[in-house]
Amino acid sequence: MNWVAHELRLLVRSKLALSALTLLLVLSALAVLSGMREVERQQQTIARLEGLQQQELAAQARKYTHGGDAGSAAYYTFHGTWDAPSPTAFLALGLRDAAPYVLRVRALALQAQLHEGESFNPELALAGRFDFAFVLVYLAPLFLIALLYDLVSGERRSGRLSTLLAMPGAGRGLWLRRAGLRTALVFGCLVLPVLAGAPASGTAIEALGIVLLVTAGYLALWSGLALIVATRSGSSAANAMALMGCWAVLTLILPTLANAVLARAVPVHQGVELMLAQRQAVHGAWDLPPEATMEKFFRTHPEWRDTSPLPSGFHWKWYYAFQQLGDESAAPQVAAYRDGLLARQRWTSRLGWLLPGVGVQAALHRQADTDLQAQLAYQDRIAEFHARLRAFYYPYLFNDVRFGPQDFASQPHFSPSSQPAEVPLEQLLGLLLMGAAVLALGVDAAGRVRPSAG
Amino acid sequence: MSVALHIAREEWRLLRRDRVAVLGLVLLLLLTAVATFTAWEQRRTTDTERARHQGQVDHEFETQPDRHPHRMVHYGHFVFRPLNPLAAFDPGVDAYTGHTLFLEGHRQNSANFGDVRQSSLLLRFGQLTPAFVLQVLAPLLLIFVGHAALARERESGTLRVLLAQGVRPRQIVAGKLLALCGVAAAALLPALLALLWIGAATPAPAGLAIAMAAGYGVWLLIWAVGIVGVSAWFGRGRDALVALLALWAVSVVLVPRLAPEIAASVLALPTRFETDIAVARDLAALGDSHDPDDPYFAGFKKKVLAQYGVSRVEDLPVNYKGLLGMEGERLTSALFERYANASFERQAAQLRRVDAFALISPVIALRRLSMAAAGTDLQNYRRFVEQAERHRYRMVQELNRLQAEKLSFAGDRSSRDSRISHAHWHGVADFRYQAAPPAEALRRAAPAAGVLLLWLVVLAGLLAVATRRLGRVTR
Repeated sequence: MNWVAHELRLLVRSKLALSALTLLLVLSALAVLSGMREVERQQQTIARLEGLQQQELAAQARKYTHGGDAGSAAYYTFHGTWDAPSPTAFLALGLRDAAPYVLRVRALALQAQLHEGESFNPELALAGRFDFAFVLVYLAPLFLIALLYDLVSGERRSGRLSTLLAMPGAGRGLWLRRAGLRTALVFGCLVLPVLAGAPASGTAIEALGIVLLVTAGYLALWSGLALIVATRSGSSAANAMALMGCWAVLTLILPTLANAVLARAVPVHQGVELMLAQRQAVHGAWDLPPEATMEKFFRTHPEWRDTSPLPSGFHWKWYYAFQQLGDESAAPQVAAYRDGLLARQRWTSRLGWLLPGVGVQAALHRQADTDLQAQLAYQDRIAEFHARLRAFYYPYLFNDVRFGPQDFASQPHFSPSSQPAEVPLEQLLGLLLMGAAVLALGVDAAGRVRPSAG
Repeated sequence: MSVALHIAREEWRLLRRDRVAVLGLVLLLLLTAVATFTAWEQRRTTDTERARHQGQVDHEFETQPDRHPHRMVHYGHFVFRPLNPLAAFDPGVDAYTGHTLFLEGHRQNSANFGDVRQSSLLLRFGQLTPAFVLQVLAPLLLIFVGHAALARERESGTLRVLLAQGVRPRQIVAGKLLALCGVAAAALLPALLALLWIGAATPAPAGLAIAMAAGYGVWLLIWAVGIVGVSAWFGRGRDALVALLALWAVSVVLVPRLAPEIAASVLALPTRFETDIAVARDLAALGDSHDPDDPYFAGFKKKVLAQYGVSRVEDLPVNYKGLLGMEGERLTSALFERYANASFERQAAQLRRVDAFALISPVIALRRLSMAAAGTDLQNYRRFVEQAERHRYRMVQELNRLQAEKLSFAGDRSSRDSRISHAHWHGVADFRYQAAPPAEALRRAAPAAGVLLLWLVVLAGLLAVATRRLGRVTR
């Protein structure tokens, strides 16, 4: 292990290398800290809203239970739902800045409530997050490039290359040791803050392992690429240019191009259409004879068929029946909308097999449970809760049961998901394969350095 | 000047032979072309789609059957945010804000179905638009092409020869700058053609397109001056390249992400959840129109009775329930407006914090200018939301007025049984978004333009210093 000390000494003497590594460590630490702060802020928001919601419920209970009318209690009572950040969310915050992670719903038609937006500043979101995923995907390759681009050409221009190659044990091993050490240091600078932040965030060991593997795979790919380029006979500037070109193409141009193609190939218009269809169904119901609406409702919900007939004038059970029918009539549009969204997500994951930056984003955000799928899963949990809410109120409405304070207190409560995030095995495998392949090519290229080239 | 031109011509000749430079330029031109085409296509389909939806909902509103006016208040209306023609060049926040608002009585809904919630994470890598190519990629090309402009001459000793021949350092620097500006112009040209095309194919105001073109011109000029300056400063091309790439990564990639993060954490926005609850509480504090003993609405009733000189609501010539609806809507809308303004003001304050970072990273100023000129910044979105809210208020009050005037108090039994003719729905819901006048957009872009010019002046000063130093170190 003598060479490690030797190479480290060399590295420490280079001001550029040392400052690059320090900067990377600082940036990674900043990203992790800012991610943890954001997660903490979201948790505090959820806790604060929980308290606020309790107060609201208490106020509602006083107001709407003395009438004994379940219909108006259901109409006026909003219920809080929330989607707490996962223990890995601080690394990749994903869509959590644009999609709501707290939402109030009531027993009325769900589709009109489910797609409500969160208040956020679009110009701030436009820039994208500064989190660990960003530091890893965009910045880490730049640092690797800065540390490796003149690995060979630097020695050549200083006239040491022939001497180095003539020494025993030189050749491939020398370049691999140097590149390996530098890559390892980059890896260390990147993951040290993550390792420090993970226990405080309660990240599971497996999740942490996945994050480290993703990081390692991505860095292997970039150091392999840097080796391929740096061991060519080009000048330092040409090598730097070639590597920066690769970086721009892989992390900026191709994903952006892919986004444009995907937006065209999988258009998602059904969101608006489901809103429009649902509204027509809900409001059209006011003009239909109530008996016809009830008949339609009983067809899919026969358990309420034999309850007392509709009185003349307004009755809540008719109102809630057409609300539910509105949701049901929009079901095909809802399904089409979700299919479109999931298709986009699937294609993005597939692109991760070709574009390492996309692969890393997909893997980290899946592990962090902050991607489109996580957003849909939250909507599913809201829908499931909403169904329980309906099921809770219907016996009161259809059987004309008095609704008292006791009943108010026994309303269903939203329960957040306790399922750990799904492991992004496919993306991880893709990244590791890609990293290993490119690294192998780099190792191969390192063996072909000749003293007097170019 | 002819010396400078001569040097520039030499430099171009060299660049023509350099495969990397040619390849880079071709790649950039290709990207601009693809970006223009897809962004234009995207804007066109988006806009047609929104116009189609707007037509559909307008039609649906007018063809609603005879109804109680209050049912129409709840039936509500959708408005779709039309896209400014220049959005094809820089779509700005369009993908991040919802593009449709549901307008109904007693409620202010959020804009829904923003693309960012509907797209996988790819949108976070950026959208392929001419603005993205010019903001992010064009400077990179200029760095690759220009980093060695002077450093190369110094490294190879030709600079000394040139100076010995009596060429002034100023002329050499001017020549190199001219050469790089030529490349910058070539990079800008397709984007300008795209702007011209957009301007010709749509009623986009020429002033805005020109402001935008000028902004991007200054942006590339900033880079040309900066690159030549760095190249003059460093003895070796390699060092100049590394320094420039670091500058680019920090100013174009890092700071524009870091600054919003800082702004958002210093000035957080309240969630919708909280705002909704706060609004509901304030409303409850105002009074309950259903409660006959409510002090506020008792006072309102007294006032109305006094105004018409009657003693009972039954004797009013208009339907009191309609008047009550109008008063309720007036109160709630004032509240919504207060909360919405507070939120937008806070967002504007966040952006002011971000703008301060333009002194480190001029791309922030460029983005502000570009989005303001393209009509795709937060301010334009706010304009849409506020116009939609005013429209909502007008529409709901019109329907409430119909209830007050077309239905008698006695005849207004329930919203299901008492109806008025559907002929009344005509023209109530029509919404026409009024885009901001170009002068306003230009005014908003002015500070950002000032920051860009400041950058240009400062960098030109630094280039002058570097030029003087160039003469000294080679002597």
